Amino acid sequence: MTARLTQVPPGAQCFVGEEARERRRIEEAVVSVFEGWDYEEIIPPLFDYAEVFAGEALASKTYSFVARDGSLLALRPDFTSLLAKIAAGRLRERPAPLRLYYSGEVVRYEPVRAGRQSELYQMGLEHLGGDARAADAEVVAIAAECLERLGARGFVLALGHVGVFSGLVEAAGLAPERVEALRERVESKDPAGVRQVLQGASVSSALAEAFEQLTTLGGGLEALPRAAEVFSCCAGAGAALAELRAVADALASAGLGRHLAVDLGEVRGLDYYTGLVFRVFAPDLGFEVGSGGRYDTLVARFGRPLPAVGFMLGLDRVALLLERQGRLAAVPRASAEAVAATELGAGLKEAVARRARGARIRLGNGGER
Amino acid sequence: MSLTIALSKGKLLAGSEALFRRAGLPFPNGEGRKLVVAAGELRFLFVKDMDVPTYVEYGVADCGVAGKDVLLETGADVLEPLDLGFGRCRVVVASPAGRAYAPDRAATTRVASKYAKLAAAHFLERGLGVEVVRLAGSVEIATGLGLADCIVDVVETGRTLAENDLAEVETVAESSARLIVNRASFHARRAEVQGLVAKLQEASR
Repeated sequence: MTARLTQVPPGAQCFVGEEARERRRIEEAVVSVFEGWDYEEIIPPLFDYAEVFAGEALASKTYSFVARDGSLLALRPDFTSLLAKIAAGRLRERPAPLRLYYSGEVVRYEPVRAGRQSELYQMGLEHLGGDARAADAEVVAIAAECLERLGARGFVLALGHVGVFSGLVEAAGLAPERVEALRERVESKDPAGVRQVLQGASVSSALAEAFEQLTTLGGGLEALPRAAEVFSCCAGAGAALAELRAVADALASAGLGRHLAVDLGEVRGLDYYTGLVFRVFAPDLGFEVGSGGRYDTLVARFGRPLPAVGFMLGLDRVALLLERQGRLAAVPRASAEAVAATELGAGLKEAVARRARGARIRLGNGGER
Repeated sequence: MSLTIALSKGKLLAGSEALFRRAGLPFPNGEGRKLVVAAGELRFLFVKDMDVPTYVEYGVADCGVAGKDVLLETGADVLEPLDLGFGRCRVVVASPAGRAYAPDRAATTRVASKYAKLAAAHFLERGLGVEVVRLAGSVEIATGLGLADCIVDVVETGRTLAENDLAEVETVAESSARLIVNRASFHARRAEVQGLVAKLQEASR
């Protein structure tokens, strides 16, 4: 027997009994919230043409393979591209807004570290078309309800807007290499690093100061008016902040203010996100539980210009968080009625009869009590 | 609940202790070999310098003090709000003194280093072929013994290089101690983290 028959490939996961039951319960709770907001389930294909998943961040993480006809296929590394394709293709005649959700595995080449596995179970939704601010606020509110429903304690939805950073970049007219270095330093909230990247670039002191403030400005919603002052030097950033504020105000009036934080240094996935971005954090878990944002250009790639916003929760991370917070009340397996099968025909007949009445039974089968 | 701080047992320890004391923050008083020590409202983990970013990335520690060299090498996804100003050093390429350094003349340059990732990136980004020999220490002897053509290592004064007949030929990165913070702690324990950042910022001026 070769080692491969017993060895587990790095990143592969297997859930048994209690673990599997907990995951099903979490999934049911989240899906019931999605359904409650009238989102419709989509079960997309496990694989599609690799081009569907194009995009810098995912390209290097995609498991791709060649089909018999020579075309390049890929196992889904995310759901959003697939839902965009379906919304623009099979559902093209459906009037916007479309409210769609999914729950299932994605597969990625990912070094196993800090809560990342190669097989991830994602539960998420996409809101395509409709009024953008209303859709943004709705999606964040749904994320909050999911965590409430699951009983997560102390969670924070950190809201940002990529337009603040890209507005500043546009105003500064920076070269692309510098933008990437700057983005990376802003993402790390490293003001010293931001200063260093901007050294030698002809950027006004007001803009340089504004870039640095991206790393420090943030906190509760009270940070937003302050940010409006700091970024008043730049129309693009100001417009982005106004959008963010409209969404945050709506959420606050819905009583969700206590879960909100402002994070203007949230600048991941700039090739993808176009507006609001948010991440969900909680004490007791060192990495985000889920994330989301607005992506207004993705669906147009598939032939239907449709602005959209979505979010997803990672089932593995939700389960880990709830376990650490002691929120996974163990649900014991229901006990089964034993049915003796000393004489197989009679035993099986009895078992079938009891099953017809809905009982949980365990058929005696040698060796068992 | 108190914040957990990961500190290096290595060369940044003395500077970290001085900074915490200057900031009026609690710091353990000689707890011998204990690796997890509570002091005041803080809890300290004493770990290997290359492991500090890992403890913080996973959120086992909320904050930590790590060299920029270590952050670049490990590529940990952590926040870096403060340059603490101490522990200044550089990561450099050093080659045998008196011998011409010309990596463009060879198809592959063999480089010995503890900084395998940084060393490889330094050459590959310039279009130069490289083979990195990963070592855990005593990197300076690698060229003299024929294990490598040059080394990538950290220098403060350059004395160790000179004693081993090596000369610095290129700078790979500048480094100093940084305060690092876990992404989730930054938001989920905002008040405590901000308080610590403010005190350390004041003390590191």
